[in-house]
Amino acid sequence: MTDPLQQESTTAKDLELESRPRQRFELEDTGFDEVPPRFRKFYRRWRGPGDQLAPNEVICPVCKVVIRSTRELRPGDRVYCMPCMSRLIVVRGEDGRLEARVAY
Amino acid sequence: MADFLTAYSIQNWLESCPQGYLMGTVYGHRPEDEEPAPLLENEVLREEAIRTTVQLVVGERCALAASSGLINAAPDEASKRFLATQTLDEARHVEIFTQRLLDLGVPKKDLESTIQHFANPNLVKFAEVLLEKVDKKDFVAGVVGQNIVLEGMAFSVFEMLHAVSEPTNPKFARMLSGTIADERRHVGFGENRIGSLIKQYPERKADVEKLQKEMSYWMLATFADAFRNNPARAEFKRIEGELSRAGVHAEWQGVDLLTKDPEEMEQILADTVLKEFKTRLSRIGIEYQTPDRP
Repeated sequence: MTDPLQQESTTAKDLELESRPRQRFELEDTGFDEVPPRFRKFYRRWRGPGDQLAPNEVICPVCKVVIRSTRELRPGDRVYCMPCMSRLIVVRGEDGRLEARVAY
Repeated sequence: MADFLTAYSIQNWLESCPQGYLMGTVYGHRPEDEEPAPLLENEVLREEAIRTTVQLVVGERCALAASSGLINAAPDEASKRFLATQTLDEARHVEIFTQRLLDLGVPKKDLESTIQHFANPNLVKFAEVLLEKVDKKDFVAGVVGQNIVLEGMAFSVFEMLHAVSEPTNPKFARMLSGTIADERRHVGFGENRIGSLIKQYPERKADVEKLQKEMSYWMLATFADAFRNNPARAEFKRIEGELSRAGVHAEWQGVDLLTKDPEEMEQILADTVLKEFKTRLSRIGIEYQTPDRP
């Protein structure tokens, strides 16, 4: 397991999104040291309410760390939060932004 | 066994924690870091730092007793192994915060009497409520009390202390950031393990909700003592004014803590913790119970 995006959504929950390829992202180490070095670029600390998330990022609702993928995230994707070991599903929140829900 | 349990391995813990963010630290901080001289030289501030650190020791001793006590009550091997790593995390927290008491000038021979003198009785009650469940080997209630209520509270308290310490005390801030990293795993285990167990045992919900309400009350009473009845509030106000004028800020939850009165800080902390409880509990199918306000 490397990228936190473990399984891409295969259902067309958002037709406009599904019709175009996913954006790719180059990730750099952000100084997040709470996971082994090879995984560090996939996470960063959340900087509080004003912190803007990129299309490849989602906040873990359990431990408040920002999870980062090399690919754009979309509703229905399954992601893994290594700092708190939670399995999450990406959803579109009421405000239109991407959120993660815990999959128990 | 649910697949998510496979992540709870000693190997995973070794790579993340002792071989990761704790590498090169001494009692949780960089070897060269020391308590700042203005803190050690100001008797009011030093005593207040001792009082605060004693509450951390009391809370972590409770967490150590709870996590070790829950190992034999855990229904599966992966949970036992996770709780073994958590036990070592909590023992480390007890050790580093106890070492801080020594660093703040508490003589070794007076350690226990100092802890007894400053320990908040409401925090002691909070711990007793949890440890009663652990003593009965009640795994579901014990994990909710320990990994969701206690750890949820600790997570927010440590974040708040970290926000205030980062610009003023790098040694304490580093100790707290390592502890916060540990707490992420602990709250993650609490939510994920209980989230699946509560589906298996829905009849346990009422008991767990009662526990949350009772522990939340003692937590709020502890906050009230710490902020409202704090004997150092005048000195804090003076120091915060000095720091603000020097352009120092301590941002947490979208506010600058250095500009807030103790009552406002208590409100921000209590609201943050209770909101988190509510959100976490509702995610795992438990209805949050509003505690009485002390």
